[in-house]
Amino acid sequence: MNWSKLQNVDRRVLYVILLVATSLGLFLPSRIPNDPEPAAKDLYALLMQLPEDKPVIIQSDWTNSTRGETMGHLEALCRILMSRRIKFVIYATADAQAGQVALNVIRQINEERKKAGLVTYREGVDYIYLGVFPNAEGAGQNMRNDIRKAWGTRQTKVDGQAGRVPVFDTAVLRNMRSVSDASLMVVITASATIDVAVQRLSDKVTMACMSTGVVAPSLLPFYQAGQLKGFAGGLRGAYDMEYMMAHGINYSPTPGQEPKVTAEKFGEIPPVPEGKSFERAARYFGTLHIALTLLILAVVMGNVGMFVAKKKAKGGNN
Amino acid sequence: MIELLAQAPPPPSFWNRPPYSPELYVMVIGTIILGLALFFGLTYAPTRLKRPIVMTFTFLSGLFYVLLWLVPTPLKPKEPGELPLNPVDAAGIWFSDALPRVADVAQILSAFLLGLGIFSLLTIHIRKINRKQTDWGFSIVLLVSMVLMLGFGYADWIMKEFRDPLGLLQDSSNWTFVNQMSDLLFDGILQQMDAAMFSLIAFYILSAAYRAFRVRSVESTVLMASALILMLSLMGGVAYAWGQGIDALVIGTGNEFLNNLKITEVANWLRTNMQAPAIRAIEFGVGLGALAMGIRIWLGLERGGVSA
Repeated sequence: MNWSKLQNVDRRVLYVILLVATSLGLFLPSRIPNDPEPAAKDLYALLMQLPEDKPVIIQSDWTNSTRGETMGHLEALCRILMSRRIKFVIYATADAQAGQVALNVIRQINEERKKAGLVTYREGVDYIYLGVFPNAEGAGQNMRNDIRKAWGTRQTKVDGQAGRVPVFDTAVLRNMRSVSDASLMVVITASATIDVAVQRLSDKVTMACMSTGVVAPSLLPFYQAGQLKGFAGGLRGAYDMEYMMAHGINYSPTPGQEPKVTAEKFGEIPPVPEGKSFERAARYFGTLHIALTLLILAVVMGNVGMFVAKKKAKGGNN
Repeated sequence: MIELLAQAPPPPSFWNRPPYSPELYVMVIGTIILGLALFFGLTYAPTRLKRPIVMTFTFLSGLFYVLLWLVPTPLKPKEPGELPLNPVDAAGIWFSDALPRVADVAQILSAFLLGLGIFSLLTIHIRKINRKQTDWGFSIVLLVSMVLMLGFGYADWIMKEFRDPLGLLQDSSNWTFVNQMSDLLFDGILQQMDAAMFSLIAFYILSAAYRAFRVRSVESTVLMASALILMLSLMGGVAYAWGQGIDALVIGTGNEFLNNLKITEVANWLRTNMQAPAIRAIEFGVGLGALAMGIRIWLGLERGGVSA
């Protein structure tokens, strides 16, 4: 066999292999054993220990181009908050489509909960959608200065009532006088909007992030500095969240059984008490394994081909 | 008491007139007239004046945020209507009150970019259709898609926001034709095409990694080894199985040092001690560059920032 040919495989062959291989991932089991990342454990523990009487602020800056990662993040976050009956306010910055995409996720989870006979979240009562703030820097600075003035002109529909009311007249934000009155701010992003949010708000409110795999490395300095209390990065982060939603941390369903997820710094953090846990990320996680394996094999193959070709060339010279 | 105060309207100031008051209407009308005059005035400004005008606006906009940062932020008044202690306190309160309005202006200006984009798109494609330029059929598809999305999008929004007090349309089983069409156009077509376009990157990454990721030097070997470890750590199943193997080895040998060889530990060490410091260093450089560029644009030294 001519091994040196390995370094010159036609790219169309690679494309076909990728297409077939990633499609095979759909048939892999969706409950792959896992050891979540420390930052994801921090985020899950934080979410499960939030007080129920304070709202959470969600900045959702993603669209379906990154849904493999960020849609799983928002779904996991909503499922946790809804299962714990924590109210939230959600808005988008920069991308005009991001708001509608986030609303679609909330609607789908509500429908899923309704089918399961669980309590659904009502607009203006359990959550508020603030709309899109096209200028992320201005919005962040404004929230820092005075949240009542920053969001004071925004109105919302209240489920069961005609017309729209100012957002601070609703049960969600009635007691919020500054951004510090939120128990947590989570930025779900596929871009650098997390930098803008951290720069302006991380000393005012507890912050966490859920981002694409591409953005995740840039979160490390913020996480190490304590500006982010936890984060879930990429599809792995989304699966980490779903895995902990199903198994908790240091949690044994029956006495004597080994916990599936352990972390020394926490006590027992239970799984989510109701609703789905494994969902979107679990469906895609097998495919991620296959795609990365393929990538590693392709790199190895190219290098083997190169070494063989080099060896042959040396032999020829001798 | 605190909750009552929270509900109280903010005290009137230059930036915040009482709702529905005559003075508010006068200010709104005055601002519209001033805005229109400014808008048309700028259109007729001579070319040689355009650059100084842009520079002046840029400087004033930047000056606001510089002063906001320099002037000490006053403490929140303990009682509504409490007077400032001194001129610095008064200035701080004024800037603090002005910030929401300035931020609103920034939001509106940013939103105008969307309108500008639509205007530009319409101009280009209508001209292309009129002149029957190459691929003018695609321009028709684009304009028809745009009109459909706008029409169904607005109709859907009006129905959900103003004609559905009971929130029935929150459940897709209650949707009408308009809601279904809006969802089909936005979520069923546009967003799916968006996802499909983005997923094409996978093909290019695979092809590029195969062709370019070659071990030709010590540096590229280190880079490839790091990438391999990080990729393996992203595969939860592999990391878990590796971890289980190490656990068994630790139990068998009694050597706890082996725990450090878990793929998650090695990957975390790489991230914490190699990746994060490198990113931090890059961020410092980017920050300094942005600061220098910001000062140059603010002071009108950067031609690109203030070209009219």
